[in-house]
Amino acid sequence: MESILELSSITKSYGKIKALQNVSYQVPRGSVFGILGPNGSGKTTMLGIVLNALQSDSGNFTWFGQPGSPATRQRIGSLLETPNFYHYLSAVDNLKITQAISHRGNEADIHKALETVKLTERKHSKFSTYSLGMKQRLAIGAALLGNPEVIVFDEPTNGLDPVGILEIRELIKELASQGKTIIMASHLLDEVEKVCTHVAIMKRGTLLTAGAVDEVLANEDIVEINGNNNEGLKRLFTNYTGVTQVKQHGDHLQLFFTFGTANLEAINQHCFNNGIVLNHLLLKKKSLETKFFELTND
Amino acid sequence: MSLIKIEWLKIKKYPAFWWMLGIVALTYPGVNLLFYNVYQQLTTKKDFTSTIAKQLFGNPFAFPETWHSVAFFSSCFVIVPAILVIMMITNEYQYKTHRQNVIDGWSRNQFITSKILDVAIIAIVASIMYAATATGYGLTVKDDNTAKWSEEIKYIPLFVLQTFAQLTIAFLLGFLIKKAFIALGIFVFYFAIVENIIVGFLGFKKIAAARFLPLEVSDKLIPGPKFFGRFNEEGYKLSLSQINEHIVYTIVLTVAIWALCYYIYKKRDL
Repeated sequence: MESILELSSITKSYGKIKALQNVSYQVPRGSVFGILGPNGSGKTTMLGIVLNALQSDSGNFTWFGQPGSPATRQRIGSLLETPNFYHYLSAVDNLKITQAISHRGNEADIHKALETVKLTERKHSKFSTYSLGMKQRLAIGAALLGNPEVIVFDEPTNGLDPVGILEIRELIKELASQGKTIIMASHLLDEVEKVCTHVAIMKRGTLLTAGAVDEVLANEDIVEINGNNNEGLKRLFTNYTGVTQVKQHGDHLQLFFTFGTANLEAINQHCFNNGIVLNHLLLKKKSLETKFFELTND
Repeated sequence: MSLIKIEWLKIKKYPAFWWMLGIVALTYPGVNLLFYNVYQQLTTKKDFTSTIAKQLFGNPFAFPETWHSVAFFSSCFVIVPAILVIMMITNEYQYKTHRQNVIDGWSRNQFITSKILDVAIIAIVASIMYAATATGYGLTVKDDNTAKWSEEIKYIPLFVLQTFAQLTIAFLLGFLIKKAFIALGIFVFYFAIVENIIVGFLGFKKIAAARFLPLEVSDKLIPGPKFFGRFNEEGYKLSLSQINEHIVYTIVLTVAIWALCYYIYKKRDL
């Protein structure tokens, strides 16, 4: 698949602190690419470098197969870290500046973008009078201005209320369905899991893993079972072929297999042959949260 | 052209810009009116002192001397547009729009070029105010030399250059310090006190290096009005003869400052 963004060995230090160490990955065209990591993992630094707000110490990157430049940035709608606007100007006047610099869209698109983020009623109010959520929505509106083919969101739901969060999630899904490439840094695992097709997990400036969500999460099969005798079930599967671990998880028992080796039919048959009737049998994907903590915990 | 358009979008609804314009519009004629009134009081009485004063001062507010005198008095108030220049660059840091402009598609060089345009626009606006004030006095105050109205008109471009050069220094402070009040404090303190003390001290010790101090380099573009020569003819003639030299020094210093800004901005994390 064609890459929209390709990073190669990006390294960045602040004095003795290594903010990024040899980070390399590719963002496929049309993907919703989530960048996950705890605070200080280097997510924003990495986005800052590819948007030319920060300088890397070494390594390089390309957008659309070309080295990063003003022309490539004009094709990208970006919200990096905080909403950055002229406080004394209205939403419309601020977006006029965004439009003039990026050459994306026209006057009509400005009003359309403000309508998308539900700021039409306050579009002539000064930015300084906006609430935190409204500022965030204006920044999202600026990123959407002129329908760019790539959108970069750094913590897009910051400052939004639950309804706003839901609206942004739906907006991201809608943009993805239009074939746009969305790169989104977040520490909200649930948010990323719900909308992303690809994910990169970072910790202390290092890339731990990157790839399609299914591939990243599916390095193990987890089979959840429940029956009338869970103690018996536990004993039954302790030495079962292919099981790497048996765990009690609430009312259920979880059996861990190497990826792609769990056979639900055989498990069911094994239980039945040993006199236990199952009332719950489910092949589960590992949740992103589980995977995240597994990777990022020391 | 597109950079000017974008900067105009930023400036035109910035209240401080219009306040500055209003203050300059009042300050430049106002301060000259003050000196004019003093001049009138000294010269209009029909006694011996007035006659002496008139011979001593000439007519600094009539054509063509008005271009020179008004430029000199107005240049003492470069602090007003300097406040605006410092606020305009420190606002970009405060609002983080300096990084957003680059993220949205400007090159880092374009950002600095846009700031040169800001400083140029402000210098030109201040110069228009000066030229209008000088013209106003020239038309009002009649003298035998009125026919030679254009003789000292070179002070208009010299005022533009001096204002641009001194506002460039104000910009550099705002650019490096990033905090409006600290940058303003340092500029005012240096402009009003430090450099004057150094210039005075070095002048007293007859050390010529004083004229190469950052603001003094361009201060030398507009020496005191003609009547200053009555007090120290030799020194005044020297000042006049050094103007062309100082045009070169001022341009070199100003270009060097902007080159430094380009270099720093290219290397800096935003």
